[in-house]
Amino acid sequence: MDTKTLIKDAKARFSHNSAKAYLKEKYNSKLVIAEQGGLWRADAQTIALLQALSNQFTITTVLVDTFDNPVEVEITSLLESLTTLYNSVMTEWNEEWKELENKR
Amino acid sequence: MERTRKQEISRGVVLFAFNSSKYNYVEMAEYCARRAKSFLDLPTTIITDEESAETITYDFDNIIIVEPDKNNIREHQVWINKGRYQAYELSPYEETLVLDADYVINSDKLLKTFDFSDSFCCHNRTEMLMYPNAPQEFLSSYSYSSLWATVIMFKKSTRAKQIFDALEMVQNNYDHYANIHSFVGGIYRNDYGLTIALKIVNGHSDVPSDYIPWNLVHVGKNTSIYADAPDTFDCKGEEFNTEFTVMYDNWKNSKMRKEYVNIKDMDFHIMNKDLFEGIMNG
Repeated sequence: MDTKTLIKDAKARFSHNSAKAYLKEKYNSKLVIAEQGGLWRADAQTIALLQALSNQFTITTVLVDTFDNPVEVEITSLLESLTTLYNSVMTEWNEEWKELENKR
Repeated sequence: MERTRKQEISRGVVLFAFNSSKYNYVEMAEYCARRAKSFLDLPTTIITDEESAETITYDFDNIIIVEPDKNNIREHQVWINKGRYQAYELSPYEETLVLDADYVINSDKLLKTFDFSDSFCCHNRTEMLMYPNAPQEFLSSYSYSSLWATVIMFKKSTRAKQIFDALEMVQNNYDHYANIHSFVGGIYRNDYGLTIALKIVNGHSDVPSDYIPWNLVHVGKNTSIYADAPDTFDCKGEEFNTEFTVMYDNWKNSKMRKEYVNIKDMDFHIMNKDLFEGIMNG
């Protein structure tokens, strides 16, 4: 029996809350990246801090990574990596969310 | 007995699989190995016993036969899950991913674990599909939150050896540790063994880099999962389904409502082996 028939026979309803939770779990894990001797999450806070430092023409800085270690990093290259990762993961997240949002 | 095809392998997947009277763990390991090869592009080694090895149909890169420890009974049946500590000695790889045979790989995400630690990492948190607020499991009310032996990455190193040596010691004295940590002994669980072993090696503190920085996704109890399409293996090559439908019985005010969600490209671990067999067969 294919899954569409299964869903129909079981009169199951699509759970938007579970879909949201699943997407969050899936894409949050994709935002993690190991770079320059530290482990980073490509989140808005880290990117914003790197961008602010970059605007002040600072070349290196020390950031606390997700393992709570202070790591000296080269700002521009880390910013570029995190921004690229953030954009690609969030685009994918948004596309899959739109796909699931249309389900009934 | 050991059959080795490649002499210089530095990275690979190790699977433990011992058939029981109820479940064909070798078949599960083969399913997992095919996916490891396809999604992670890693060679696979199966560690099994003589009897189970006779049922192997997949072309594993290595087959390692060991004497199974049948001294573990679950639901009135022999459950061979002891001996996981041997992964360190038996792995032919410098960098190894030890996976439970019932772990379903749908992405290349696990490759990242090799970048996270110089010695060892495993999961310390879980997420239940369709049950987002499920509490984390503890060894007991008086003990640690459980770690998970479902996915372990280790690199041959003094520290990793210490962890696996400690795991052997905990396994050999399981009832003693069950007594100390106030959980029910009897049935040996690798998750609990690993939790205690890692805590001992770390001086009962936490080392953040020992933990994979995302949750282990479980398909838990009261949840069913179905493959949206079967995997296909033909002359054109192998094609793996990565889309699944998850169903959950949501009880509210004494009424049950069936709910479902579609997932894709997400790795997960299935607790219910009957469901796993259903997925393997499409």
